[in-house]
Amino acid sequence: MATTKLGFIVQRPPYKSENPKLALTHAIATQSVEVYLNEGDTVTADIAFIGDGVLNCKKDQKAMDYYGLTSTEQHIKMALLVDINIWVCKEDVEKFGLSEDDLVLDAEEFGADMTVNVVPYSEISKKMEEMNHLLFF
Amino acid sequence: MKLAVFVSDYRMTVDTLDRLSPEKMGIILVQNGVYHATLKENGTPSALLNKSAEFYALKEDLETRGLDASNVDSKVKVITLGDVVDLIFNDYEKTAWI
Repeated sequence: MATTKLGFIVQRPPYKSENPKLALTHAIATQSVEVYLNEGDTVTADIAFIGDGVLNCKKDQKAMDYYGLTSTEQHIKMALLVDINIWVCKEDVEKFGLSEDDLVLDAEEFGADMTVNVVPYSEISKKMEEMNHLLFF
Repeated sequence: MKLAVFVSDYRMTVDTLDRLSPEKMGIILVQNGVYHATLKENGTPSALLNKSAEFYALKEDLETRGLDASNVDSKVKVITLGDVVDLIFNDYEKTAWI
């Protein structure tokens, strides 16, 4: 019986490449991986947005309106709905002149209990040390 | 030559833009290039906006990313996809995508 902790680190901005969305969809997919594991084994996923990756968390994305795409904002909300921890680097948010008011912080409309955590990089670094595997996107 | 250059990345890994010297240059910010129009890293606007050119940013790509046209730098004109077509046909002889 063991828990494998996966840390998904998103460091690219949204849309130009699939990378940030892949991090989110892979993290969400860990919720259904248990059928492939031995009894008692579990996998957890946490997501951290750092560097240019924090731009994924900008709220009011209109990707569906213009391009018929599920927005990265919606993917973040889905991740919250399935109780994935999401960390956003406070320093990088501030570097871009953004504040918490500019970010998607919850998914209340879907009934999610989890919220996005905007924290100093030092805290994200500690979380990364707790992970068994880090995956960079 | 009148050249329209599409810039689709925020982090530029090539210096092609610096080497271009057309008689008239339009820089059309699309995809992740639109971040040049809105972000001020550590309070400083993108260095790209210091170039001698006309600047445009695609409204659809701004709003896709949750960016508001009201936050766009005053040097940049917000345009639609229809406007891009007009620019290509009416204002510039050649286009480049970097």
